[in-house]
Amino acid sequence: MIEAFFFYVFAAMTVLAGAGVVLARNTMYSVMWLIFCFFNAAALFFMLDAEFLGIILILVYVGAVMVLFMFVVMMLEVNKARLREGFLQYLPTGGMIALMLLIELIGASSSGVFDNEKVAAVGHLGAEVNNTVEIGKVLYTQYLLSFEIAAVILLIALVGAIVLTLRSRDDVKYQNISKQVNVRKEDRMKTVKVKS
Amino acid sequence: MANITFPFPYPEHLGIMLPEILLAVLAMALLLWDLFVPKEKKGMIAWAAVASCVVTLIALLQLPAGDSLHTFYGYFVLDPFAAYAKVLMIAATVLAIFLSLDFMKDEQNVGEYYCLMLFALLGMMFMVSATNFVVMYLGLELMALCVYVLVAYQRDVLRSSEAGLKYFILGALSSGMLLYGLSFIYGVTTDFMFAGIGEALRHVEDGSRLAVLLGMLFIIAGLAFKVSVAPFHMWTPDTYEGAPTPVTAFMSVAPKVAGFVVFIRVLADAFPALQTEYTTVLSVLAVLTIGIGNVAAIAQRNIKRMLAYSTIGHVGFMLLGLIAATQEGYSGAMVYLTIYLFMNMGAFAIIVLMRRDGIQGELLDDFAGLARVRPGYALAMGLLLFSLAGIPFLAGFWAKFAVFAAAIHSGHIWLAVYAIVFSVVGCFYYLRVVKYMYFDKERVAFNFIENPVMQATVVVTSLAVVIFGLYPKPVMAMCSAAVSMF
Repeated sequence: MIEAFFFYVFAAMTVLAGAGVVLARNTMYSVMWLIFCFFNAAALFFMLDAEFLGIILILVYVGAVMVLFMFVVMMLEVNKARLREGFLQYLPTGGMIALMLLIELIGASSSGVFDNEKVAAVGHLGAEVNNTVEIGKVLYTQYLLSFEIAAVILLIALVGAIVLTLRSRDDVKYQNISKQVNVRKEDRMKTVKVKS
Repeated sequence: MANITFPFPYPEHLGIMLPEILLAVLAMALLLWDLFVPKEKKGMIAWAAVASCVVTLIALLQLPAGDSLHTFYGYFVLDPFAAYAKVLMIAATVLAIFLSLDFMKDEQNVGEYYCLMLFALLGMMFMVSATNFVVMYLGLELMALCVYVLVAYQRDVLRSSEAGLKYFILGALSSGMLLYGLSFIYGVTTDFMFAGIGEALRHVEDGSRLAVLLGMLFIIAGLAFKVSVAPFHMWTPDTYEGAPTPVTAFMSVAPKVAGFVVFIRVLADAFPALQTEYTTVLSVLAVLTIGIGNVAAIAQRNIKRMLAYSTIGHVGFMLLGLIAATQEGYSGAMVYLTIYLFMNMGAFAIIVLMRRDGIQGELLDDFAGLARVRPGYALAMGLLLFSLAGIPFLAGFWAKFAVFAAAIHSGHIWLAVYAIVFSVVGCFYYLRVVKYMYFDKERVAFNFIENPVMQATVVVTSLAVVIFGLYPKPVMAMCSAAVSMF
């Protein structure tokens, strides 16, 4: 009973925070709402006995990704008025699609999927089950291929980001250390005969 | 799954992943080697990339392709279908690298450009070998990330950055839709292996039916985004126009092959129990796609935009093969993809060649009088366009013939008639370019790129179109052998 109560509290706050991300006028507030959303989602993970995922969500997303987001948002000068442009123009179509999706989703989730015994009635795990160990066991065996592909994706993200932002500028004077070290006396010094 | 032993056991049949492993290692080595190559010699990287493709192809061809082998706990499969698709994608990548040779030589960071192409190929190879949604999705993202960067590669050109951003945002949205649909399917079946889902969906209770349908719809929508099926095609014209032309050529062929293979696998392995439902959905999509692609192309003045809409139209025709849902239909779609590869690569090669003073010859007007200036190019372009239009006894005719026949045999006669009508409509905009080339006076001075490799590409693709048109048997036999397990 109390578990259901907490589930609904966290779930409702997640939805609320999600709405806040989209509706907040200030981009900074949107980021804050997103952080709040992540915290609530992490709480939902905790309630499912997936502490590792919950902690990772907070550490990685809130701790690293969202902080980076904030920096980016602070550096960009977002024109709020222009963001709102065309809002009313797209509202009828967008709103209609959103409404249709909402009806479908409510229909789908209330049609009895969640009455399915084997899915719905997952009991709690014993205290001896260690989340991290269990994930590690499957991640590096059964899902090894997926893990490796994910590693390549990270490499691509890295290369892609650098390729799109790195530019070699000609107007900057760099210090070339090997050139400095390799300089010889003849390069810099000239013996000039001075008439006495 | 039951008895996992540590340390990690050496998976059975690891050898069937040799092409992927080789490609990944070579691409990473190339990435490192690029650092030590001076700027004037970056052409070497391109040739090394071609060599990597060839090595991968050889590794692929020496594998036993007859039966389907699994490795990594059944997460990766090598069957004739995957092997054939991989050969096609490697060919598309090599041709796209040939087209880039001259086009990209003035850009910064050329080395990474070719590496990203190889990584995109790697992602697509994983996609076509996936037996489950996890590997499929990861392969898809690997491919998509590379292509996003490739599209935005000319970052000083506003169009290119805009195209990259648009493609990225819509691509992320479509990935979200795909994953959302997956979560529904996973919730009902608690499985993400295609075969396991197919089995579980056969005896699903009525209560979960709506959730399954919703999941299927979202998955189809997500995949439709990737292969630019209307109404999820909005990104295609802008992205094709803005991307560097060789990248446009690459992304109009290779990801389409991978996307269609995944589409076929998902429909045939995971959703056979929902065939009536998905046939309805796909029929609506095909009608929209064929209509929008062929009609909107008429209004375009930019040839890259025109070819983008023509791609949408062709994708609609390929969908007919999937709607037929028979071995003949899948084989037809593969024939279409094979022939489309050569037709499109050839057409884009000529567009790349028509560069004048650094400006791309992209407007239809630029083609006016081409027959007088360069009769050879005009002849090749004419052949390729006739083939794209589906004029008999060129390859494009047999491609259309294969899918239309499959659709008719499986009882979708009205759909086939509709497609034939619109393929006649489509002839108009292809033949208009031919008219510009042969019957109009030249309006701009041409300044062609003289690059023997690219000229050879044009010759090879146009010859392929003619030869496949006269002897379609081998291609068709290869394709039906590839899909024999369905």
